[in-house]
Amino acid sequence: MPPELRESLLEALQHVQGYIYPNDVSLGWSVVIVVYPYITGLVAGAFILASLVRVFHVKALEPTYRLSLLTALAFLIVAPLPLLVHLGHPERCYEVMMTPHATSPMAIFGFVYAWYLMAVLLLELWFDYRRSFVEWAKASAGFKRLLYRVLTLGVEDVSPAAIQLDEKLGRFITVIGIPSAFLLHGYVGFIFGSVKANPWWGTVLMPIIFIFSAMVSGIALLMFLYLVISRLRRVPVDMGCLRAIGTFLLSALVLDAAVETLDWIHRLYEAEESLEVLVLLASGKLFFSFFLVQVLLGTIAPLAMLGATQVFKERISLRLQKSLYLVSSLLILIGVFAMRWNVVIGGQLFSKSLRGFTTYKIALVGQEGLLMAVVLMILPFLLLIGLVKFFDPWNTRETPPATT
Amino acid sequence: MPPQITRLVYLTLAIVAVYFLARGFLVPASFGQYGWYRGNALKEIAALPIRYAGRAACAECHEEAAERLAKGSHQGLSCEACHGPGAAHAEDPAEAAPKPENSRFCLRCHEFNLSRPAKFPQVEADDHFPDQKCAECHAPHSPMQAPEDASKRNAKPVKK
Ligand code: HEC
Ligand code: HEC
Ligand code: HEC
Ligand code: HEC
Repeated sequence: MPPELRESLLEALQHVQGYIYPNDVSLGWSVVIVVYPYITGLVAGAFILASLVRVFHVKALEPTYRLSLLTALAFLIVAPLPLLVHLGHPERCYEVMMTPHATSPMAIFGFVYAWYLMAVLLLELWFDYRRSFVEWAKASAGFKRLLYRVLTLGVEDVSPAAIQLDEKLGRFITVIGIPSAFLLHGYVGFIFGSVKANPWWGTVLMPIIFIFSAMVSGIALLMFLYLVISRLRRVPVDMGCLRAIGTFLLSALVLDAAVETLDWIHRLYEAEESLEVLVLLASGKLFFSFFLVQVLLGTIAPLAMLGATQVFKERISLRLQKSLYLVSSLLILIGVFAMRWNVVIGGQLFSKSLRGFTTYKIALVGQEGLLMAVVLMILPFLLLIGLVKFFDPWNTRETPPATT
Repeated sequence: MPPQITRLVYLTLAIVAVYFLARGFLVPASFGQYGWYRGNALKEIAALPIRYAGRAACAECHEEAAERLAKGSHQGLSCEACHGPGAAHAEDPAEAAPKPENSRFCLRCHEFNLSRPAKFPQVEADDHFPDQKCAECHAPHSPMQAPEDASKRNAKPVKK
């Protein structure tokens, strides 16, 4: 064998293991496609936290109600960007809306997204904020006055009867919104779950796993934001609210962990021919991101911490409780990201031959590089800052938010 | 009807109307004629300006180059595989002639690559005189001969 041939062969062999089909060597879906389900999950989770206030009358969560909705909006606006970045040619993106193919789940995403944005999130925000818009418009001048006035859509009636109607309609929208939030994110799970050629993805539990992990990540995000923003605003944290979020977070996490464990038990017991490669994948290539980050740091550690805040409520200081909440919310956020990574990247690391693996080497720069993913993750937070400035979620009085 | 509802209904109708209006403009005319694509797709492609003239066209005026090429190991290549599209120049020689843009463009075909047939002549770019242009030693039209231009000829003549 010529020396060059040997060298290139050796290089290629470091990159892959076992018997692998040539078209499985490089991954089609990169880190930006990891970011995409992560962001939509945060949207759905944040919305579900808000709906607990509206529909299930969880009064304790009221301090985070508007913040949850604004967070959902900020992340929802960014949600399609990873797709645009990945596909390229953003100037053609309207085409999928103009000539949608009814049997293509990817084509229908545009409509699921538009429905969720316009028929659910914006409407609910509008019903909740309309009164504030009217009052803020009266009290401000110039551009802001115009902005708030346009946002009222010309409905300036703030009589108790009109406000009551807003309330009622808002609740109605939320009731529609909960299944819509499930649809939005269950749909992302459906896209993966319906890939029957890929045993790591193709399970009917996939949409359910996605929905529960979405709830977990969204609630954790709100807990994190609430703690950080309270610190920045120098206002005391409402412990009742924090505990309520903590309780829901714990329940969602328990459910999520249970469903994912069920998935594994099912796979292990079924022991299909793909099991061997999946076990090798989880214990080899994904050992760090699956066992260490997703399971240990992202699930077991926060379960213990959140459990401790419940069990030892009286015995540990408020300070410690807050730190426990902060740390566990962060760990959960990291853990759910790892879960998305394990699904998206993990599902492409093994060959369809079920006999070999390839490697994913993340690029630093470029359209699908690490920097792009970081930018896509920072963008919703910047948007949220803007939204919070203009639509101050805590200001229900008549003075408009100061945006200077 | 309370104003909230009427306003929203108007707004919704407006958005739906804008969507269908936009479809009227943005859906290509022949879309769906035969299936889920533009019926005119082939015609549209056929109507694109021609950019390649083909080897026979080049050979009409550049006999010498064509003959030389036909004798060497690059005989199977089209002129424009290296020179780039030249229909405009073939139409009117006053138009700028297509020239291979990069001194090391040869590597596009000759860089060592495991997926190429083992018999295909390949070099490791990093080991094969990386600091020199390929054409300093290989006459492009007859690559196993040294270039005639003495100024370009390097200390290492090619064999044969
Ligand atoms: C109608 C005749 C004609 C055809 C057909 C033609 N050329 Fe030319 N080409 C010329 C003439 C005449 C010149 C010299 C122009 C000059 O020196 O200004 C020239 C010059 C060139 C040069 C530049 C030579 C130099 O020394 O700089 C290249 C390269 C070239 N042609 C390539 C091609 C290729 C490739 C094709 C086929 C796509 C082609 N030509 C087709 C007439 C033609
Ligand atoms: C392997 C790639 C390759 C192919 C195939 C090729 N050329 Fe060239 N040709 C070149 C390169 C490179 C140069 C520039 C040489 C230099 O700069 O010394 C060139 C130069 C020329 C010139 C400028 C005068 C000269 O001879 O140096 C003409 C004319 C020309 N080519 C015509 C043609 C025609 C006609 C064909 C097809 C019959 C053709 N070439 C095929 C690579 C190619
Ligand atoms: C479009 C692809 C292509 C490009 C570009 C190209 N070549 Fe080639 N080259 C070939 C093919 C095809 C052969 C013939 C291979 C065979 O004989 O099987 C060949 C043969 C050769 C050979 C002969 C090897 C031998 O043992 O006979 C040399 C040397 C060579 N090319 C050098 C060059 C140089 C220098 C350039 C740049 C000026 C170049 N090639 C550009 C495709 C290309
Ligand atoms: C310093 C002069 C020189 C330069 C520059 C040079 N070569 Fe060569 N090349 C040679 C010689 C000499 C041979 C013959 C070596 C042999 O037969 O062992 C050769 C052989 C080749 C062969 C044939 C290999 C084979 O196995 O048949 C190819 C292909 C080739 N060169 C491509 C290139 C390309 C592409 C470039 C530019 C990146 C280039 N060369 C630059 C001198 C040169």
